[in-house]
Amino acid sequence: MHLNVYGDTLCALVTATAMASSGHQVVLRSAAGAFAEALQGGESLYREPGLAKLLKEQLDAGRLRWGALDEPPAPEVRALFMAFEQADEPVARDVLLRLAEQMAGRTAPSVVINQSAFPVGTTEELQMLFPVGSVVCLPEFLQEGAAVQSFVRPARLLLGCDNERAELLVREVFRPFNRLSDHFLVMRPREAEFAKLAITGMLATRVSFMNDMANLADTLGVDIEQVRRGVGSDPRIGEAYLYPGCGFGGPGLSQNVISLSDTLAASGVGSELLTQVLRINERQKEVMFRKLWRHYDTALSGRVVAVWGAAFKPGTGRIDNAPILKLLEALWAQGVTVRVHDPEALPALRETYGARDDLILCDEPYLAAEGADALMLVTEWKAYWSPDFERLSKIMRAPLILDGRNIYDPAFVRQSGFTYYGVGR
Amino acid sequence: MKWHQLKTHAETLSQRHLAELFAEDPERFTRLHRRVGPLLLDLSKQRLTEDTLVQLSALADTSDLRGWIDRMFAGDEVNCTEHRAAMHWALRVPDTRNADNAAGAPELAPPEIRDAVHAELDRMAHIVDKLQAGQWRGFTGEVITDVVNIGVGGSDLGPLMVSRALEDFAVPTPQNLQVHFVSSMDGSQVSHLLRQLRPQSTLFIISSKSFTTVDTLYNAETARNWLTRALGEDPAVTRCHFLAVSSAVDKVAAWGIAEENRLTLWDWVGGRYSLWSAIGLPAAIRIGMPRFRELLAGAHFMDVHFRDAPWRENLPVLMALTGVWNTNLLGIHGHAILPYDGRLKYLPSYLEQLEMESNGKSVTRDGDPVTTRTCPILWGDVGPNAQHAFYQLLHQGTEAVTCDFIAPALRYHEAVHTAAAQELVGQHELALANCLAQSRLLALGEAALPEGEQMPFYKRYRGNQPSTTLMMDELTPYSLGAMLAAYEHKVFAQAVLWEINPFDQWGVEMGKKIATDTLLALRDGETVAMDASTEGLLAYIRKR
Repeated sequence: MHLNVYGDTLCALVTATAMASSGHQVVLRSAAGAFAEALQGGESLYREPGLAKLLKEQLDAGRLRWGALDEPPAPEVRALFMAFEQADEPVARDVLLRLAEQMAGRTAPSVVINQSAFPVGTTEELQMLFPVGSVVCLPEFLQEGAAVQSFVRPARLLLGCDNERAELLVREVFRPFNRLSDHFLVMRPREAEFAKLAITGMLATRVSFMNDMANLADTLGVDIEQVRRGVGSDPRIGEAYLYPGCGFGGPGLSQNVISLSDTLAASGVGSELLTQVLRINERQKEVMFRKLWRHYDTALSGRVVAVWGAAFKPGTGRIDNAPILKLLEALWAQGVTVRVHDPEALPALRETYGARDDLILCDEPYLAAEGADALMLVTEWKAYWSPDFERLSKIMRAPLILDGRNIYDPAFVRQSGFTYYGVGR
Repeated sequence: MKWHQLKTHAETLSQRHLAELFAEDPERFTRLHRRVGPLLLDLSKQRLTEDTLVQLSALADTSDLRGWIDRMFAGDEVNCTEHRAAMHWALRVPDTRNADNAAGAPELAPPEIRDAVHAELDRMAHIVDKLQAGQWRGFTGEVITDVVNIGVGGSDLGPLMVSRALEDFAVPTPQNLQVHFVSSMDGSQVSHLLRQLRPQSTLFIISSKSFTTVDTLYNAETARNWLTRALGEDPAVTRCHFLAVSSAVDKVAAWGIAEENRLTLWDWVGGRYSLWSAIGLPAAIRIGMPRFRELLAGAHFMDVHFRDAPWRENLPVLMALTGVWNTNLLGIHGHAILPYDGRLKYLPSYLEQLEMESNGKSVTRDGDPVTTRTCPILWGDVGPNAQHAFYQLLHQGTEAVTCDFIAPALRYHEAVHTAAAQELVGQHELALANCLAQSRLLALGEAALPEGEQMPFYKRYRGNQPSTTLMMDELTPYSLGAMLAAYEHKVFAQAVLWEINPFDQWGVEMGKKIATDTLLALRDGETVAMDASTEGLLAYIRKR
């Protein structure tokens, strides 16, 4: 089938690439810019396992190409994906209005599949702008760091659609990824949008709950890791999303949760629980700062802090809503110089903050630790799990480790001569 | 005798009703109002004519007002009993440290004072920015969400009044930073507030020029104990949770305030004239430094106007002359402050202190008893609310009272009000209509009512109560600054005409001393010889 995918998000790229890999003819459309240039040069702006290779194969095979946003879709195009950032909702509306004109008079049924995390009810509004075809909603469930895998082997496909012909078309588009069993759950568009938000809200709630518990554990002298194992062993609860840490970030989790809050707030109802969940998370992003502040008796001016990991999670180079952003602001405000290492996210940091004296980007972890009064682990990249503690203690000015993801063994770290702070232990 | 000619004039005029004066001269408003910067002063509802202003101007000349203004702006010791200059106006001179600003700016203060003032404003700005950015940290590293100003008198009324007046200009902050005020000696405000706040995220400003004010120091000690109970006895608790604004640096240091948390003001600023200094910090935290500097700019505009304008165009001088006319020549000894804008709620209290603490004196600069009456009794409230309280007395009581009606012409077009603007504009129009109607009825009495309405006596309005209307284009930091400076200079000009010193306050000192003895008597049961009433009351308290 001929497909068009609109947007410059990870979801747009993965959708276009994976669809092309199953034999669809795909045009990926975005505004001119870094994303478009990278794509035309055969490269991916998003670092995801397997994505670059798959993308190159599709481009070489001629099943995927880049196109401008305002170019009319080919006459044989039947399905159009919308995968925009939440903030780009006006762009999505423009695209759809233009499509309504460009596709007026076409007789073959067509479907617009909205994957963007717009507020609940948006898909129905988009349908009003596009009378020549159907608009359905298919929330994305990509896991950053495993985006391609989670697309080609979906755990579920929440389809918000109240039109049988459109549903048939969507099922045909996704047939290659829906073989083993039927993953489609079909409901009204508004319900699918809300279900997506409720899922992310629930995950965020679990994390903030554990962070809340971790802060209690801190004052009670309890190791939250033992508690986490105990809680996770209850089958009614399960083990996922129970890790305490220095806060969650990313365009997926926090952005979706926030949009749910906004939707409810605008209606005058508001979710008290989710408001708290977000507040706890924002506070949690400064948990390591607070421990450092206390450790150095509130005198941080002139100190040097090494940070390992800036990406909001391992496997991605993105720093949207990442804890490091709040951490940097807090440290800088006290006159601290920060030396950061991250295998993927340094370009994003450079772009956000530009050159400044109190931010030193290091392309090697031990380089970041040199002369530091503290080492903070913020993102649990695999390469950080087993550091050379002996080397660290030689190059650091003071042997102090703040483990924002509880990946180290406190006893071993202390034995190696370090002062250790974790989250809730 | 400088008052002689005026007395004759007053005797003639006091026979006239305001309604007649308006009927005689359709140009009365044109003749008797002045526009200066953002302000409009309407004196046409005062019981005077242009001729009165000419004669009062002569009184100003006879009293050497020109010389006194020059001496004040020269930094001379115009506060003769305390041997100090009164240079609150120097707190609002423009920054001339960089040459571009210096060009053409009127040089009101010597460069070393200007530089000191602006260096202190920069230190204030640093603190304000850190608090607003959510980067001021408490002892546990938490973000400060609440700032409590502990101060009394000038260290309370000024910043409180400005914070409330400029609430529409409050800067939104990520942590929703709130500013609170605690002044009362008995602890009722502080205990109420501490129940609602968290020690980890609360910062206190101890604001006391002398750093000896017991009211403030007791409240500060209560706050410190509240913090150490929760956070422990660590010197860092005081370091992270207390700022001080004072001219007594050594006392501040002894209290344990960290050096970077000390802001200073100078001996040449009186407490009730100090909101322009670091004493204004709570207001600056609310509205941000750029707005706070606009407030200073508005006041500076009025300083220059006061120094340069001829008497009959000079807003503060006209306000002063009108006050003297009412007090000393028409014999009116009550003055009500009536803002028709709820944001000016604390303006009456602020002006009560400014005027009555400054000019509530009965000894001349030469140390002789005064021969004229001085400051009238001031009080007031938000006008529309006062209409339901004491306006009855204004309209039908036996006391003559003069009023200042104060209102902004424009309101509710700022961005913060978009959603409800329509209704609120309607409410502001209603308040303005009431402002104009009340001053009209007070002035004209029954002449304001439709003709031919016969009423029983108890429904009658005799009118002839004089009032000033002070309007501004809108209530902004700049216009507020200009208005407050106008009142300050009015007070100074009146003091010159009354030949008294407006910058001391010996009348409030002795009470503090006697209270110390009484406290000993109350606590330790020490028998000190007192009057029968005090002894009786002490005995009653001790038995409880």
